[in-house]
Amino acid sequence: MEIFHGVLYGFQVALQPINLLYCFIGVFIGTLVGVLPGLGPAAAIALLLPSTFAASPVSAIIMLAGIYYGAMYGGSTTSILVNIPGEAAAVVTCLDGHAMARQGRAGAALGIAAFGSFIAGTLSVVALTFLAPFLARVTLRFGPPEYFALMVLGLTLLTYFARESTVKALMMAAVGLLCGTVGQDTISGRFRFTFGIRTLEDGLGLVPVIMGLFGISEVLLNLEQRQQQKEIFAPPTKGLLPTREDWRLSTTPILRGSVLGFLLGILPGAGAIIASFASYAVEKRASRHPERFGAGAIEGVAGPEAANNAAAGGAFIPLLTLGIPANAVMAILLGALMIHGLQPGPLLVTQAPDVFWGIITSMYIGNAMLLVLNLPLIPLWARLLRVPYATMYPLILLFCLIGAYSVGNNIGDGIVMWVFGIVGYLLKKFDYEGAPLILAMVIGPMMEEALRQSLILSTGSFGIFVSRPISGGFLLISALLLLLPMLRRSPGTG
Amino acid sequence: MPRDLVSGLFWLAVAIFAAVQGLSLKLGSLNRPGAGFFPFWGGVVLGLLSIVLVVSSRGRGAAGSSRSRPESSKPLVVVGALLGYLLLLETLGFVAVTFLFLLLLFRLERLTWAFSAVSAGVGALASYGLFQLWLKTQLPTGPFGF
Repeated sequence: MEIFHGVLYGFQVALQPINLLYCFIGVFIGTLVGVLPGLGPAAAIALLLPSTFAASPVSAIIMLAGIYYGAMYGGSTTSILVNIPGEAAAVVTCLDGHAMARQGRAGAALGIAAFGSFIAGTLSVVALTFLAPFLARVTLRFGPPEYFALMVLGLTLLTYFARESTVKALMMAAVGLLCGTVGQDTISGRFRFTFGIRTLEDGLGLVPVIMGLFGISEVLLNLEQRQQQKEIFAPPTKGLLPTREDWRLSTTPILRGSVLGFLLGILPGAGAIIASFASYAVEKRASRHPERFGAGAIEGVAGPEAANNAAAGGAFIPLLTLGIPANAVMAILLGALMIHGLQPGPLLVTQAPDVFWGIITSMYIGNAMLLVLNLPLIPLWARLLRVPYATMYPLILLFCLIGAYSVGNNIGDGIVMWVFGIVGYLLKKFDYEGAPLILAMVIGPMMEEALRQSLILSTGSFGIFVSRPISGGFLLISALLLLLPMLRRSPGTG
Repeated sequence: MPRDLVSGLFWLAVAIFAAVQGLSLKLGSLNRPGAGFFPFWGGVVLGLLSIVLVVSSRGRGAAGSSRSRPESSKPLVVVGALLGYLLLLETLGFVAVTFLFLLLLFRLERLTWAFSAVSAGVGALASYGLFQLWLKTQLPTGPFGF
């Protein structure tokens, strides 16, 4: 009943004309960002964050959230028509989606991607609606040791899902934790790693760091690769509705992808990218004709596209119930909530029910908007893809510059972005991933506070982390996750 | 030199720096950890991981999965342009410095002078309109008042 009231209240908030407008702007920009390769949702949300300062917190978060799940829709369009993923989570969609386009079935691929995204997005919001308030009540009892252990588990999971080496992912997490300590220490008031630079006294800004790591560095890497004009398939004007046969093949993959995506979305570090790959692997294995995969199997589009949308919904769970971000985008949303004076976590549902329920219900509306918006606008997106990169990237860089500057109206943040742009470029050259760094940087200060408070509580004994069952459990799982890969690799166990 | 060795040594240096800074910030006691506690242990963990990486890279020799070397100097020019933009922004003002920035990058892409100049002008004015006039971002004004 409580949830029913919450949802009803949420719709009252989300259906206000101003919030509908923000939701629409969010999903529209999200789709655009998803379509354009080389500009991901993390950089886009960071970019637009300053422009929401004037709006109410609910409207701001509704728009920023819309950018995130909107990008999941848009990414598939580029994958299918151009064979370049518009967004990292749409990489697998290239395989069968583009193959379908080559066979003249681009319409069906785009159609099933949109419908699959809609179904999965909606299912995951339903799950979010029921799970989030329940979890918020459970986590209300968490003390500093539980929070610390949970964040350790989060960082471990993050490195567990790393695509490159685990050691490097752990190193990035450690670097992120150190980056998180920059600025004034909240407990002692001392300045750390500021080197007398005024901008650093408040800590490294999340927005400039993300724009550097995910925006600037991406452009630099793209510039290096030889530009080749890719073949862009003419967007189909009809035949976007999948046939009965398409639906028969796709229904189960969409449902499986939804569940898989939602669950992986909740886990820190896993997120939409891993979810889409996992779904593809599952569908290929479950198929009676796995040889069709890669040659235009519609299941290979339906499953992963469902999974990455469901993951976007699942990712909101740790943010709304624990105040812990599951990925880089959620980290900026966390920052956005805090800038608007809200403390994400178990208390959000009671202290700011309009925000809590408003965001959740706006996602039902946003998903419906995306379905209506997406199919008719495909020709427009296809034309946008013909704009050469040479004219596109100077504008992306300009937006990053303006975005970094306007966070605090100072050049210092721009310099931070510049430095992290170079760092991000070098990290990719040396096969490191940026995501663990960002997440650890955001979690770092919370983790440090929880650790120090726990130690004060226990008068200096680390026993507090293992004697309390919940935190002990989290740490045990973390230890197992770290040790398992090593055991598997050791000789004799095969 | 193997690439993992290079990057591992770099992070080892960062780790040592962090740990030393942590020490000088005071570790405090376990029941009252100080400002340097977290940076110190963070540095120690990073250092240990870097050593693992360095040691494991030696076995593999120089054959790392080397990604493409820079094929052009474009990234360097862009990095320089970005820094120049930031340094000149408050003296020249938003519109002027944006025009120069876009002009440079369009020329870098070998677009014609005329096309570059017109596009850069349109880009600078349009972004001024979008951010300053519409979104009310406070952009720096130059000696010309915009």
